[in-house]
Amino acid sequence: MVFVLTAICAGAALVLAYANKATQPAREYQLLKYVQGPSVKKVLKGYDNDPIKDVIEVSMGKDEKGQPINIKIFPGKKGGKMIGLAYSSSAQGYHGQIEVMVGVDMNGTITGISIMRHSETPGLGARVVEPAFTNQFAGMKLSGQLNLSARGGKIDGVSGASFSSQGVVSAVRKALQLFPKVKKEVS
Amino acid sequence: MAAVVREFTKGLWKEVPPFRLVLGLCPTLAVTTAAKNGIGMGLATTFVLVCSNLIISILRNAIPKKVRIAAFIVVIASFVVIVELMMQAYFYPLYKILGIFIPLIVVNCIILGRAEAFASKNSVLPSIADGLGMGLGFTMSLTLLGAIREILGNGTVFGIHIMWESFQPFGIMLKPPGAFICLGLILSIMNWISSRQRSH
Amino acid sequence: MSEYLLLIVSAIFVNNIILARYLGNCPFLGTSNRMDTAIGMAMAVVFVITLSSATTWIVQEYILKPFDLEYLQTIAFILVIASLVQLVEMFLQKSIPGLYRALGIFLPLITTNCAVLGVAVLSVESHMSFIKTLVFAFASSVGYGMALVILTGIRERSATSPIPVHLRGTPLGLITVALLALAFLGFAGMVK
Repeated sequence: MVFVLTAICAGAALVLAYANKATQPAREYQLLKYVQGPSVKKVLKGYDNDPIKDVIEVSMGKDEKGQPINIKIFPGKKGGKMIGLAYSSSAQGYHGQIEVMVGVDMNGTITGISIMRHSETPGLGARVVEPAFTNQFAGMKLSGQLNLSARGGKIDGVSGASFSSQGVVSAVRKALQLFPKVKKEVS
Repeated sequence: MAAVVREFTKGLWKEVPPFRLVLGLCPTLAVTTAAKNGIGMGLATTFVLVCSNLIISILRNAIPKKVRIAAFIVVIASFVVIVELMMQAYFYPLYKILGIFIPLIVVNCIILGRAEAFASKNSVLPSIADGLGMGLGFTMSLTLLGAIREILGNGTVFGIHIMWESFQPFGIMLKPPGAFICLGLILSIMNWISSRQRSH
Repeated sequence: MSEYLLLIVSAIFVNNIILARYLGNCPFLGTSNRMDTAIGMAMAVVFVITLSSATTWIVQEYILKPFDLEYLQTIAFILVIASLVQLVEMFLQKSIPGLYRALGIFLPLITTNCAVLGVAVLSVESHMSFIKTLVFAFASSVGYGMALVILTGIRERSATSPIPVHLRGTPLGLITVALLALAFLGFAGMVK
């Protein structure tokens, strides 16, 4: 009795371990395609490859706890030549982290941003996802202009939601600060 | 051969789940907001049903009576995990829509019911036929229910507009009350058809 | 504190596991014909769901996650729940025969009640802490029990009324649930 049950469990374990392994690459691809893909498509411009398929994982050193930080870089290519990169970055908003996908061309100029995840207040801080706010970032570089107007920059924050707006700006600035290193890693 | 055909066709009408064999109601109600979702759920269930019927009928003489339910659950749950992995890998959007109801296939009473009532007592071929018939019957029912709710709740079927221009969809049909009331009415229509057949 | 209060209100009224999330329909219709069975089932459900959610949380956090076996979640959870129900049955039979007589016949039925596995999966999916999982599981199952008792009250009365013959039994049961769900839709939007 025990033997049969053990044999069935062992057989099941074997089959499942194999199934898990066999479907892993396909599952990872789908996850990237449907979770990050829509944002990647929005922020990269003028590419003709599949950025999801060409994803590059680069190591960015270690965090405070000694865990390695790996980020996924989605390259946009045209005719085989790399024309832009998209990667995500996050910063503290009013309620928790705001995760932003940032598209950058090879000169470090923003081609677009898209908010992937946030838990800001509906109708207030959550309005940072609207194009009226996010479109302001395109064409900017890492400079004093890339700041909220209240801090002397050129970005108009969403009214009544300065913490949320600042969170997005911080995330974008963080992404651009990484850019030189990212560029070196992928080329 | 005739027996195999009979086992196959009984699931399509005479014992069609969940209308005649009132089992497996949770996925029936939950995912049928559109005909397409009904087909997806139905086929996933059919896959698990056919495979578990196959394995259980092969092992039916090896499994001791006392631990049979535990053994059945292990077999069924393994196939559910396989379905989960395959859907994540190849049908991600559908996987997201069906969500929690994919792992819940494991507690769909139809599957354990067929394992216990049929596959553990019959040989391989009739068991496959039984699983396939019941599974396709279930798929048909879910698609029908999904189509009715999609037409009334959204004016479309399989995403194609079929209702007239000025049709105002009943949003409630896509919500829980719509699911329960639709299934209730379908069951009463099935009762009516059965009683007419009997009186003839 | 208010966080837990909101969680409780949400689990019982707004996202009631049967009326809004469609979990556990088969026993819901099967045991709602007589009040004493309904109350027995409701109590057994509260007991088993709370206990099994706590156990599956531990399995998820301390076995599946550390060993990278999260893809085995479904099979692990159902085995844990099935064995737990068996253990509880044996324990009650030996030590608390009174409670066993009240709940005993419902316990085997509960393994295939998808609300049990459903609540376990839901709380793992929303990354709740252990205490939150306990509160959520308890509140959800109380919501289930409450809906079951309400439905039974209605069905007991309608059983003696003149109902068209084709609607008797399950069809009318489902339509009654629909009206109940419609009433509970009034709570929608109260809590996110």
